[in-house]
Amino acid sequence: MMDTAIAFPAMQVVDRLVAECHRFEVSAIDPDIAGQLAAELPLEDFVRIVRTFEDDLGRLAGQLEAAVANGDQDGYRRAAHSLAGAAAAVGARRLEHVARLGMDHRAQVDPRTISLHVQHEARAALAELAALADNPPGSA
Amino acid sequence: MAGAAARVLIVEDTPTQAEVARALLRDLGHEIRVAETGTAAVEQTLAWQPDAILMDIELPDFSGFEAMRRLRAAGIETAIIVVTAHGSVNHAVEAMREGAVDFIVKPYAKTRLTVTLQNALEKRALATELREVKAQLTRDRFMGFIGGSPAMQAVYRTIESVAASRANVFITGESGTGKELAAEAVHRASPRRAGPFIALNCGAIPRDLLESEIFGHVKGAFSGATDNRLGAAKLADGGTLFLDEIGELPLDMQVKLLRFVQTGSYQPVGASKPEKGDVRFVSATNRDPWAEVEAGRFREDLYYRLYVVPVEMPPLRARGADVALVARHFLAAFAKEEGKRFRAFAREAEAALASYPWPGNVRQLQNVIRNIVVLHDGERVEVAMLPPMLLRTASGRAPLPAAPPPPPMPVAPPMPVAVVTRLEPQAWPEPEEEAPPPPMAPMPRLPEPAPEPALPWVPPPRIEDFQPLAEVEKRYILAALDQVGQDVPRAASVLRINPSTIYRKLQAWRAEDGAG
Repeated sequence: MMDTAIAFPAMQVVDRLVAECHRFEVSAIDPDIAGQLAAELPLEDFVRIVRTFEDDLGRLAGQLEAAVANGDQDGYRRAAHSLAGAAAAVGARRLEHVARLGMDHRAQVDPRTISLHVQHEARAALAELAALADNPPGSA
Repeated sequence: MAGAAARVLIVEDTPTQAEVARALLRDLGHEIRVAETGTAAVEQTLAWQPDAILMDIELPDFSGFEAMRRLRAAGIETAIIVVTAHGSVNHAVEAMREGAVDFIVKPYAKTRLTVTLQNALEKRALATELREVKAQLTRDRFMGFIGGSPAMQAVYRTIESVAASRANVFITGESGTGKELAAEAVHRASPRRAGPFIALNCGAIPRDLLESEIFGHVKGAFSGATDNRLGAAKLADGGTLFLDEIGELPLDMQVKLLRFVQTGSYQPVGASKPEKGDVRFVSATNRDPWAEVEAGRFREDLYYRLYVVPVEMPPLRARGADVALVARHFLAAFAKEEGKRFRAFAREAEAALASYPWPGNVRQLQNVIRNIVVLHDGERVEVAMLPPMLLRTASGRAPLPAAPPPPPMPVAPPMPVAVVTRLEPQAWPEPEEEAPPPPMAPMPRLPEPAPEPALPWVPPPRIEDFQPLAEVEKRYILAALDQVGQDVPRAASVLRINPSTIYRKLQAWRAEDGAG
């Protein structure tokens, strides 16, 4: 079980870490990865990947939230690991970064903060992927 | 394999990752399945036998490395590519140590994934091919045969190649080389293996019964035909008909057989209409079939119909180290059967076996080994236990010292009573390691390469002692039959007459006795 008595860094510190991340990665997705998938795969395959990713996000974000609510540290790390893997597969780099912070016990980031940022980054990544599906590279 | 569609198992617990891999591989046309846990990966691999596995390391139940260990322990040799988000040297080293063929770091580009997979499949295909070729070149057992000599490897390859087709097979070779075993192997390796294998020894059937034996007869077709009787053609329907000693078939029967071979239809003796039969023909003879054609004893058109794929059984003397291999097999089998302790041959004994020309081939070797096992005991077969004929070298030098008492000539096992053998599909167990080979037809001549000693001079009988020749003949044939356990072909061989002559005479004597 998760030790909720741990003194996590202040909310502002986490926000700063994520903001730093944003400063260098202006887009929620990595164009080298997501763009390449969109360019190399038939549209229906790319759309299927985005839908699978959307399903994964809904399921894993829910698991993450439930683990936080129940103080389930193992469940929390498993969900964060899976989120990082799913995000990496489609190049959702900011989401992957946040999920990896959750996996890293040395970072001691408040799980509730991670959960909030996951939801935010997931929405951003999905929006950009949807835009990419509507307008894949080379289609103009 | 690398160019053709392969089976690829993606072991990945994150559906997005699995979907990306599946989409990137779609163009290659491989059949793809996904396992989300280590347990599912092991189960699916055992059940589905994929050609390649893309193995994630972080799995919910146990690591991908553990899954690899379990697969290797189960003897699975699928090409495994480890896929992980951690591109560390330690992971790569561990993956290779666990038997992975390659290592790929997530996220990967399409080209990287497809090239890695194709390389792995190619490597696996080459390894499999190499193993199969090696196994084929070095196998020393095949469908009941024992022998790894190049001559036997050629026989195995021909049998394997021809088995799948419907082509008729013609087996030639000296007596005792395993022609019937080769015929059975053709049947067992063929798509007809579930059907019957019917063996008919054309040389052992009286001429006037041949037609009925092959095509059957209907009730009342001739005197003594009290019931309908199925012939070998009917019994072999859907399977293989083995016609041994085909050269003994009279010319009039060759015409009828030709019609059956050509049209697939035949007429049982006394039947009013023809019947159809789906039969694959395997024939055998110890003569030169073309010489028989040239001599006018075998129809040329039948020759061309039957002599489609020739298989020549090599004589034992041309099989090199096979002599020792076969001898050891028989020694183990007969020692077990007779409750003796024999385990090996002394080096000199093995050398004597190797240098003997074996005119009676495997059957003669089989008889010699049985003779030794029956008459002697010990851990090793010593040279002194061998029959004297083996102790003469091929160059005719003086025999090596032999142990008293000299063992008698090897006795051939009695021939099965029926000349038509039906092998039921379920009676096809793989030959066991130590099991003796299936019974063969008896040896037609006794192996004794040494010149026969001159007969002692016997004064001619007085005129009143002469008896009718027919009586002498009868007594002589019956005595020969008694001596060889009522084995007609062997008695015929000893008397140097055709087996059908003995059958005919036995039939005539029975008729006389019945009449009397």
